[in-house]
Formats: sequence, C-alpha cells, structure tokens
Amino acid sequence: MPSPAIETEALTKVFRSRAFPSGALREVRAVNALSIQVPAGETFGLLGPNGAGKTTFVKMLLSSVHPTSGRARLFGRDARLPESRRPVGYLPENHRFPTYFTGAGMLDFYASLSGLPAPLRRARIPELLSRVGLDGWGNIRIGKYSKGMLQRLGLAQALIHSPALLILDEPSDGVDPVGRRHIREILSELERNGVTVLLNSHLLAEVELFCRRVAILRKGSVALEGEVKALTAGKGYRLTASDIPDNLRAHLASAASAVSARNGLVSFQFPGRPEVNSAVDSLRAAGCEIDSLIPTTSTLEDVFVQTIEGNPAHS
Amino acid sequence: MNPTATAALLRDTFREAMARKIFWGLFGLSTLLILFFLFVLKIDIVEGATATISLFGKTGGTADVDRLVRGVYGFVAVFLYTWGMFLAVFASAGLTPAILEPGRIELLLSKPVGRTHILLGRYAGNVLVVTANTVFLVLGVWIIFGLKTHLWPPGFLLTIPITIFVFAVLLAVVVLVGVLWESTALSVMIPVALMILSPILAQERIMMKLLSSEWSRRLWRALYFALPKIFDLGTSTLNAIRDRSYSFFDPLWTSALFGAVMLAAALAVFLKRDY
Repeated sequence: MPSPAIETEALTKVFRSRAFPSGALREVRAVNALSIQVPAGETFGLLGPNGAGKTTFVKMLLSSVHPTSGRARLFGRDARLPESRRPVGYLPENHRFPTYFTGAGMLDFYASLSGLPAPLRRARIPELLSRVGLDGWGNIRIGKYSKGMLQRLGLAQALIHSPALLILDEPSDGVDPVGRRHIREILSELERNGVTVLLNSHLLAEVELFCRRVAILRKGSVALEGEVKALTAGKGYRLTASDIPDNLRAHLASAASAVSARNGLVSFQFPGRPEVNSAVDSLRAAGCEIDSLIPTTSTLEDVFVQTIEGNPAHS
Repeated sequence: MNPTATAALLRDTFREAMARKIFWGLFGLSTLLILFFLFVLKIDIVEGATATISLFGKTGGTADVDRLVRGVYGFVAVFLYTWGMFLAVFASAGLTPAILEPGRIELLLSKPVGRTHILLGRYAGNVLVVTANTVFLVLGVWIIFGLKTHLWPPGFLLTIPITIFVFAVLLAVVVLVGVLWESTALSVMIPVALMILSPILAQERIMMKLLSSEWSRRLWRALYFALPKIFDLGTSTLNAIRDRSYSFFDPLWTSALFGAVMLAAALAVFLKRDY
C-alpha cells in the first residue's frame, strides 16, 4: 500500500512568548494534536476561520515552523528532512517574489533549488509560462506584473518540477474570474494525472467545486472532516406554500430549521423527511396550496458556518 | 549538498547585489580608481631607479620608483581596509534580512534544501561579490603599475586574501545580526563598531599603562583576544607591501575563530527559528 501523501500524528504547535515588562509566559496553541491523512492522488481542502491554524499546519508540513510535538510525514518520509520536500510544490499566501527577477528567471531559480537540471529547466519554463497564461512575459521583470499575474507565476513556480503533492495557500487570491477558472482547469488536469492537492482557501465555492475531501479546523483542531459530497448532500427539504393560517404557520415554523416569506409565499426548511411529510399532511388538511417541495443540499458554506458556530449536528 | 541548488543560491545573491546596485557601486568605485591610475597619474622612469610623476599633466618632481609604487599600493590597501570595507559591509547588510522577509523565506524553506545550505549559500555569494571587486581593483592597480614601472612586488597581492578574509569575518557578524533581529541598520552598526574598536584595542602597550586596575587590564586583553584584529591584519599587510617584517598568524587565527563562532551562532539561530 503506498504511503499517504500527507500524514500527521498529533501534530502540535504552541507559540510561546514573554510579556514585556512583566516577563509572564504567554502561550498560544496554534495547532492542537492534529492528525490528518491525505492519500496520494486526493484533492483535499483545508478550511477554517482566520487563526484556526491552517497556515501553521502547512508551514509545519514544509518545515518553516517546527512542531512542538507530534510528527508529520510526506509520502512516508519525515517532513523535517529536506529531501521529503522534493516532490512538493508550494504556493504560499502573501508570497513576495524578489522583483529583480524576470518571470523566467524566477522559475529558473526555484527550479534549480528543486534540483532540476538546466536542460529540463530550459524546456519546462516556456511550457509552464504558456500553461498559466503568461506567454511573452518570461523576460519581463516581475515588478511589472499585476497581482493576478504574480499568482499565476506562483502557480507555475509550484509546478515547475512536476510535483506529486501540491500545497496551495489561497491560489485564486487576486485572480479575476477568468483566471480563476483557468487555475481550476489546471488543477483538475493535475488531479486527473494523480497529483495530490492540498488546497487552503477562503473561497468555499472553489473548494467545494474542486476538493473531494475537506477538513474544517477550529482553534487548531479538526472540527469536521469528510467527503464534500457526504457533507453537503441530503440535508433537508424546502417546502413552499401559500394561504397558511397563522396558527399552522407557527406550528410548522417550530419544526423548521428556517422560515422565509416572499410575495405571499412562505418557505420552510425542514431537516428531514418525517418533518416535511408531517408538514405536507398538515397543510393539505388545512386546505393550503403547496407551491413547491424540493430536496435541498447544504452548501459547503452552510456546513462551514454551522461547524464554526458550533452546531452540534456537525461537531 | 545539491550543486545545482548551491549554484542557484550564489547566482541569486549576485543577482540581488546587482539589482541593489551594490555590485555596480563597488565596481564603479574600483573602476574609477583604476582609471585614475591608468590615465591621470603619469610616471616616467628615469634611469630605472627614479621617476617623474605628473598629475593632470603637472609634473611633481622625481621620486624613488620603488618607494612610489609601494606608497601607492599602501594607499590602495588602506583605502580598501577603511572605505572599501565600510562600503562592502554597508552594501551587504541588507542581503541577509532580505531572504528572511515573510512571503519569501517560506518559499525558500519549502524547497528540498537545508537551512544551513540556504544561509551558507547566501553568505558565500556575498563574499564572492566582494571578492570579485577586490580582485578587480587590486589586480587592476598591480598590473597598471607593473606595466608603467616594470616593478611587480608580490606583497601587494596579499591585500586580496586579507581583505576578503576580514570582510568574511565581518560578514559573519552581519549575518548573525540579520538572523537575530532582521534589521539592516543593526547589521551595519555592529560590524562598523568592531572596525572602529579594532585600532583602539590594538594599542595594548599604551592602554596597559593608562588602565589602573588589574581587572580592567584583563578585560582589555580579553576583548583584544576575542574580537577580530582588523587593525593588526591591516598593519601586517602594509608591512608586507613595504617589504618590512610582518606576521599574520595570531591575528589571523583569532579573527578566524571569532568569525567561525559568529557564523555558527547565526546558523544555530536560523536552524531553530520559526518563519
């Protein structure tokens, strides 16, 4: 059985600092005993509010932050070893590429650090620039690039050595909708080719569209983990009706998870089949018109908000 | 160590030094000095031993050729030791904090290159930038004067390794300050303070008479032993140029020890730190 692309065991990071002038020790537990396994070839989304520990977790995978305890492995190798990072491509959030580079020069530098020999670099650089839509920009200093172009160049940098694991921190940040779609197409192609992708993004719709599995972090721990399809499917029914007497409306509202009214129509969101069947019976008995009944799936955003706000259904 | 990565780190430091006009600034200054000796200062050898010197076409009289050449070499060596060294430290101070900037260091560390490799790569690249300029200036002046006077005293060439050595020692301090505080200003101030302190600490005989207590004398000796002996190395180089007796051994190994400790401390901090 092949080793997972990412495997962490009780990975923990506690940032310690001393308060001035009291000298009191302050501790922030950024990541708390996080155990995650991402099989090779999977597309995995890492979600969480600001300060949830996503970036610290990624940095521990890449050894720019040292874990306080626990361990991380990349394709079965200890993540602290430089060699374990050879099959990894990384696009950090808020990257700052040196502006003295041209696009091609920058790709050449990072490809060299990944150990790519010169002939291969010469072949890959124009190919990748074209792939991310930066044809003709290779010899231009990156100080002249727009934010979206820098993001595309960053993606090219992460792909230059044909990584088996791609870790992307907000890859669509600053990219226009067309560019975003383009990036998504590239990622889908990589997925088809068996590349493991760890996507850390605030754009939940993007994660929902692309990732097969997600983990939602809250205060450094996994609050929810599962397949996107399972998390967002079969979550309830929306029943819309008119001419509902007030007492019945109040009764139905007590069983519904949400109620909204518009143009004389009232919509009830029921969490399950028994509740909606009972509501249909009540409405028909009262002679009300049923306008529509549709099964609803919750979006990843719903799941995210419910998880972060502590809805017991998801915690 | 991956040689492709090493070459990339060295090239990157050169590229950044050029982009920051560090390389070109030092190169321009060296070129100006060379051009000065090449075109402005004219030497006509008279009967092999004496020479008439003219500056901007104005003749300044005759002088002993050997003394003249050694005098000029001494001037270039002192220039390199004082202004050259200060400019090199000043220009290099930002190169270490630059790679530690958020958004840049994470990407560097995500590559299959160890932290020691990254820091030493930048350090070596920085030393190479100054080496290129020192070799260009010293060899340029030596060749020009050799061609003009037919004298090729080898002592002047010692300026190359000694200048590079002293810079490498000071650069270790720059790197340590850079990784500790990520401050360009402090990275300049501390090595410059060492440069200023060195000639003062070297006045051991005078200071032993002036200092009244034994503990202050001990402190003085300890500081003199521990800190880099920039002044002593400079004096020995000048003596070598003037064909006088000189000894590099003690100042060289104690300064090397200081530089090695600074570099090891910088590596220890860099290896431990979270970015």
